[in-house]
Order: sequence, then C-alpha cells, then structure tokens
Amino acid sequence: MIYDCVIIGGGLAGLTCGIKCAKEGLHTVIISGGMNSLHFSSGSIDLAGYTEKGAIVKKPFEYIKDLIKSNKEHPYTKIGLSSIKKSIDFFIDELASDNIPLNNNGEYNHFRVTPLGAVKPTYLSQESVYSSKGKEIIKSKGKIAILNFKGFRDYYAEQTAANIKNHPIFQDIEITVGSISLPYYHKTEKNLHEFRSIDISRIFETEKYLPRIAEEIKRAAGDAVAISLPAFIGIKNYKSIRQKLEAMTGKFIYEIPTLPPSILGLRIDHALKDRFFSYGGEYIAGEKIVSGKINKNEVESISTLNEGRLSEIKSKYYVLATGSFFSGGLQSRLEGISETIFDLATNGTNPRNKWYSKNFFDKKSHPFLNFGVVTDKNLNAKTKEGKAIKNLLCAGAIIGGYNPIKEGCGGGVAIASAYKCAELIAKDLKK
Amino acid sequence: MNRMETDVIVIGGGATGAGTIRDLALRGVKTILIEKNDIASGATGRNHGLLHSGARYAVKDPESAQECIRENQILRKIAWHCIEDTGGLFVTLPEDDPAYHSLLLDGCKHAGIPAKEISIKKALQLEPNLNPHILSAITVPDGTIDPFRLTSANMLDAIERGAKVLTHTKVVSVIKKGTEIIGVLCRNIHGEEIEIYAKMVVNAAGVWGQEICNLAGIDLPMFPSKGSMLIIDYRINGVVINRCRPPADGDIIVPGDTVSLIGTTSKEIPYDKIDEYTIDDDEIDVLLSDGEKMIPNVRFTRALRAYCGVRPLVAVSGEKQGRNISRGIVLIDHKERDGIDGLVTISGGKLMTYRLMAEKTADLVCSKIGVKAKCKTDKIPLPGSEHKFTSRRTMKKFSGIPDSVVGSTFYRHGQRLRNILTTDKKNYRLICECEMVTEGEIEYAIKKLNVHDLVDLRRRTRIGMGPCQGELCAYRGSGLFHEYGGASPEGSVELLNDFLEERWKGIKPVLWGDGLRESEFTYWIYEGLFGMSNLKNNKKGLKQ
Repeated sequence: MIYDCVIIGGGLAGLTCGIKCAKEGLHTVIISGGMNSLHFSSGSIDLAGYTEKGAIVKKPFEYIKDLIKSNKEHPYTKIGLSSIKKSIDFFIDELASDNIPLNNNGEYNHFRVTPLGAVKPTYLSQESVYSSKGKEIIKSKGKIAILNFKGFRDYYAEQTAANIKNHPIFQDIEITVGSISLPYYHKTEKNLHEFRSIDISRIFETEKYLPRIAEEIKRAAGDAVAISLPAFIGIKNYKSIRQKLEAMTGKFIYEIPTLPPSILGLRIDHALKDRFFSYGGEYIAGEKIVSGKINKNEVESISTLNEGRLSEIKSKYYVLATGSFFSGGLQSRLEGISETIFDLATNGTNPRNKWYSKNFFDKKSHPFLNFGVVTDKNLNAKTKEGKAIKNLLCAGAIIGGYNPIKEGCGGGVAIASAYKCAELIAKDLKK
Repeated sequence: MNRMETDVIVIGGGATGAGTIRDLALRGVKTILIEKNDIASGATGRNHGLLHSGARYAVKDPESAQECIRENQILRKIAWHCIEDTGGLFVTLPEDDPAYHSLLLDGCKHAGIPAKEISIKKALQLEPNLNPHILSAITVPDGTIDPFRLTSANMLDAIERGAKVLTHTKVVSVIKKGTEIIGVLCRNIHGEEIEIYAKMVVNAAGVWGQEICNLAGIDLPMFPSKGSMLIIDYRINGVVINRCRPPADGDIIVPGDTVSLIGTTSKEIPYDKIDEYTIDDDEIDVLLSDGEKMIPNVRFTRALRAYCGVRPLVAVSGEKQGRNISRGIVLIDHKERDGIDGLVTISGGKLMTYRLMAEKTADLVCSKIGVKAKCKTDKIPLPGSEHKFTSRRTMKKFSGIPDSVVGSTFYRHGQRLRNILTTDKKNYRLICECEMVTEGEIEYAIKKLNVHDLVDLRRRTRIGMGPCQGELCAYRGSGLFHEYGGASPEGSVELLNDFLEERWKGIKPVLWGDGLRESEFTYWIYEGLFGMSNLKNNKKGLKQ
C-alpha cells in the first residue's frame, strides 16, 4: 500500500497538515511519537507577537507583510501572506466544528495573561481567554477576583495579581485574590496536594460537582464581576461546563494556564485529533521512525520501529513535522546539530558555545531556537549537498530560520506551514 | 546604624568559618559570623565533595595524607548524616606508569591509610561500569561528603548554642583603634549598615580573604587556582574511582546523591577573575575524555552541569612565585606577621580538614582572649548525627508517608527529620520530584536554616538539583517563598528569575544532547508560557 501523504509528527503542525490533507481526500497517515508541545502551550495561537527588537506587534498581518519583504529566509516569506491568512481561517473553522470557538481581534493582536502576571500579545484565543464580554469588563473597570485551588502547587494566584496590577490595562481595576476548595478533596486516599491540572479538570468534568464548585467560586469571589481560574474547566466539554458555571455564578470566567500539562493546549490537541479522524485520517501513535531512504532526491520509504519490529512505509509525499530538539526532530551532539531521520541540511553552526546566550532570559534569546532544517522556497527539505528533496516538505518547528518564542510566532508558523504543505501536495496529486 | 557586640567575629560562611563558630560555641565563646553571599557558596560548595581517605596525597604530601585519614575517621562519627561510605578505588590504566601503584601502597602504609590491593575481577564486581582494561586496583576508605549539609549543620549547632549568623552581609571596613582591630562595619542585603565590635576577628573568607586583609591595611597575596568539575546525570558509579597516577586533571569520578561527578581541572587565574566562574569548552573536553578512560560510558551519559571553584592558596611569606605556595593549612597571627592586633587569617587546607582548621583557629583565638576551654568538636556529633539509628526504625514512625520521601529527608537531615516531616498531607507533598523535596522540608529550611532566596534553599535541600534542573519545582518553590519566607508576590517572581539564571550558569557549558532538550522545554515554559522577560514590559507600560 502506498499512501498519498505520510506526516511524521503529531503536534500542532502535523495535525493541521493531516486535517487539510484528509479533507482534500488524500489517503493520509500521521505517525506520532507521543505527546506534543500543545501539552505545555498557552492554547492561544501567536501569529507575530514581537518585532526583531522586542517591541510588541499590534497588527500581525501588517507586520508579516513587511517581514516578507525584508527577510527572505523566514518561513512566513516562503508560505506567503495569502496562504497564512487562509490557514488561520481554516484553523478557526475546524476548531469551531469541534466546539472550541477561537476568537480574534480582527487585524489586531489581543492579550493573554500569564501565570506570572505578564501580559503577552497573541492572535487567536479560546473564549475563556479572549472575548468581547471580557473586553467590556476590562473597559468598565469591573472588579476581578483571581482564584486558585487550595493546596494546588502548580499555580500561584498572588503572583498573577501582584504583577498585572503594574500593567496599564489593569490600572484602576480592583483585583482580589482568593481560593476555593473542592468537594472531592476530602474523600480520597491520594495526596490531593499533589494533584496536577489534569486531575482537577476531571473533577470539573464531573457534572454533579458543578453546583458545589459554583458556590465556592461565589464565596471566594465576593462581589467581583469576573473571576480568573487556573485552566481546569474540562477538556472535552469545556464550552458547556464554562457556560454552566457562568450561569450558576453569574460571573465571567477567565482562564490562566498552569504548569504543564496545560489544559488550554490539551483542548486544542483533542479537537484537532477529532477533526483528523472525522475526515478519515489514519493515526499511528507511539512509533519511532528510525530512518528514511532517499534516492535521486526523492524519499523512497521510511522505516518505523515498534516493539522491536522494523516496518517500511511508502508514500507519494512525506511531511516532516517532527519539531525541534525537545520533540526529537533535531539532535545536538558535542560535534554539532543534526536532523534525526534523514540527516538533512540544518542551519546549526559550530562551535557549541555560540548556541546559547549568556543569560537564560537574554534579550537576544538563544541561537539554538533558530536552528532547523534548511528548506527551499516551497518548504522542500534540502540534503546536505544542497539539493531539494521533491517529495519531502517541512512544517512547524523543524524549519530553521526563525525563533518561535522570541518572535511570538510558533503557532502561526506551525499552522501556516502545515497548511501550505497540504495545499502543495493536494495540488500536485490532483493534477 | 545598628550596633552589636560579641567575643569573636568570623568572616566567611564556608565550612571553615562555620566550623570555627561551632568550635568556639562549644567552648562558651560568643560569636557572630558574617558571610557576603550564602553559606558554602565559595570553594566549600564548589569542589567534588570527596571524603578523602588521604591516599591522593600519600605519595607526595604525607602530612596532608595523615590529616585526611584522621579527619576522615572523626567525620564519620560526628557527621554521619552528611557522609556516604562509598569506599574508593585507585585504578591503573594501561597508559599509566605501573610503578605508581606500589608507591601509593607504601605511602598509604606510612600515613596509616588502610589501602589494599584487590584483583581486577573483584574491582569489576565492585564497580561494574569500570574500564575492564585496568591493570591493577587498590581499595581505600574514600567516601562522599555533602559540603552544604556539613556547613549548615555546623552553623545550626553554633546557632543553637548562641552564635549569630548574618548571611548576605558584606564587610565594608574594619574598625581600628591604633594598631588593633576592634570590630567591623558591614552592610546587609537591604543596604543597612551594622557595626560589630569584638575582641578578635577571624578572617576565614577563603580566596576573598585577600580583600579582608586589604581592609585592615595588610598585604596577603592569594594565588587563585580554578578547578572545574562536570556533573553527569545518573549515578554511574557506586564507589569513588581515582586514577592511580600523580595528581592531574580529570583523575577522579565521585558518586554523590543522585549524580556522579568528574573532577577536576586546575588553572591559575588572575585575582580579578575570581568571581567569574566561567568554564571553558576545552576543560569540558578534558574532563569527558579522561572520565571515559575510567568509566567508558561517561560519554553516553547526559551531562547535567559544569561548575568551578577557586582554591585559596596563600603566599605565606610574600612569595611572588606560584611554585612555593603552600597547599596545606595556613593560620596567620597578624600581630606576629604584620604588627596588627585582633586579627587572624585561616586559609589554605581543604574541605576535609575544615574541622582541624577550625580547631587550630579557635585554639589561637582562645589563647588570645584568655579562654581555657579545649576543643570538643571531634567528639560531639553535629545536629542530625546525634545518635546512630537504623533507618528502618525511623521509617516506622512515619507510616503513611512514602518511604522514598522519608528516606530522602533522612538522607539529607539525619535525625532532624523529626523536626521536618509530619503526617499532614500538605507537609509531605512533593515540590521537587527529582530530589524528593517536600513542602515540609522547604518550610523547615526557610524558617530554620537561614535561607534568603531560592538559591540558598537549593543548598539546604537539593531543590532543583536533579535532572530537570528546576523545571517545575522552581516555580513551586517561589510560591512557597511567598507563603513561608515573607517574600512579596513580585519578590517571589524575582527570586524565580534569579534561580533560573543561576541554574543556567552551570547548564550552558554542557548544553548539548538531552541537556539542550531540557533547556528548550524550560525556556518554552518560563519564557513562552509564563512570559518571564515580558514582565519588564508591564512596568515599562505603566511609566508611559
């Protein structure tokens, strides 16, 4: 059997690419090694947050338009503005079909609040992070209560409250801090003080607990019109749970991510998988791809290892969406940087003391975050000899030449490059 | 301005300073210790944590070797909770001069160190990861010692006996009356000035002792020698592995807690670079390539951190050349040397001989201030090491709490475990999962062990010292600092920032492989998800 498209990697880029390919009717498989970076993401999609000098970008599309003119190597330049816009619309539509409405502020960025109380620009957010209702509350200077769960060690409301008070958006807004306790808390042998976000989200997903949680929220929030909670309000039924809690408490509910796992990110991950399956996509989890055969600048096959057995997979097209170092797409050794499956050309340079900056939170960020595979103008991966591989395209963090965190564009590049790859493949195969 | 009075001021919060105030406290002398940073933040906490048998010195420096074996035996009794009796091996590699093997055996015999040749087969049974091509092996009573625990326990005992410890407090000048030093002026972390008067001042500031002498108008040139070490994740050896050859770079692998450590390089550095602590790529290369000669899988194991310390070598009679400098204990009575009364300097030596250095210093100080009491530190155990009991009995008292938690707390705090753990679930919840540090341990350290920030906390508890280097526990720890340590919420976030920056100093020299992966993840969390450096924008925005 020969697939139309094999996607290596099941993160934001791999899943988005898979959905588009499967929707186009291509016989598509995603091979995933395990968890992806959505599990420690904000669940918002950053398109372009910061300029080269670190200033906040107000209008991301306008900024990208200028970026395309000045930076030939940036993945956005290779994708092009119209595909970027189409990909974002596509993404919004797909998630809306899975009950995760994503909001934006038209041509402008909006802000999300971090656990430390920093305020970061982003472009797409879930309703609990950005909505017109929330905007109104901020405008009318309504009182906010920042709440936590008593004994939860992966979030501290006091830090959020103290630092956002310094931000102009929250000036003159009364902010209080409080904590709520859960009914489930007293009846278990487990150490509830060691619960992770995902354990608590399961409590929220248990319908019978909601009235009691609502009472606790009302008690802790007092006369605040809006409350913020660590992001726990369920994974699958988040929309309806939030609506019910808002109705029971009469208060607007905002969500702030916690230490991983990030429930906000998990929602996106689940929704994307649902969409992919709904279009008939195949998904292989827990497989390690060990090598790929390249012949005459074309991938012939890839080999996977599962429970000690090697098997070969063939496809007309391959999309490399393996992510950067953390997810194993790139590897760093004492000798240098390499790509792990095909040993492709990368933009990683030696010596290794040039991979990082002096400080961890350096203004310049770190060069290693820019490292990735070298691609041609259509996102085709290049071999070390500099030849573009016809049927191997790259999507997401494996692409070199941009810094997803410093530029605030990780989500945007992942979605747009994935969409672009799928478009190119579909166009070619449907000829 | 605050004014304090005491019998003796000790400058320097390393093992020697801590040992000195404990020794004096046991003789009934009142002391105040001043440390510009945190306890054990200089050379004390920046070595390989080896409980020397003395064998390393047996061939060339019999006096040091004898000191080591004597102190080795004393510390096993008074500080057992800071020590692991791992045993040690000296192994000869094919490229080493085989003659050194018998020189070492003779030297050990002469110094009274129980050293014994064993078969290669036995050595490999003892240490399966060892290079199988070794030519010979000798067992020696090496062990490991935790310098942070040791220093902290000495201070805790002194404090419980009436001493005062002022950390993050810097001496800015000495107070003189004629040619006599009668006190010091210091400034603490809040910028407050404190005048302290005393009959004697002890300079135990290590390599920084040169500056203290300068304040007193005394020239005491130090010859700083930098030693770098590499920590590898996982404890790849159970026994201390020494290379059987004359002392050189990269000749030892020490297991400790959850990691193993390859030491050490030696580089002379200019005095103005003593606070820089940079590790060069070539030092890493030497440590890795020499390390893998003793344990071949070193290179395939993840490197966790690299760090360096500066040895305080003193030129006793004003030598300008490095080669005449003593590496032994140096105790200087500045009245005799420089005509300045009221000041003594203790320097040189090694972590192993801290107690002996403290004893010698206290003897001199006591003779000057007319105290007749004798040293008791070789007999009275440190807090945590009071009575020896089996850990099984300890465990029973804490049934319900996971054994791993009880075991780790016991390992770090000995009998003081009783002051730390309770069966309240919040008390024993894990904050640092790599090192099994509980909330109760953090609360205890913040309240009882002179902790001012997360870096100090790490030295008392090992929080953030495991494979993830503080990925999750740093944030949790910062929250607890607000809860127990009186830090403001904004202040606690700054502590978090400082802690991650401090971890980065040791991570970046070994940033490759899994270490780089982990750092990328940490960066995603604290910069991407949490927006650490974006916090600056909050305040900037307010100004506009």
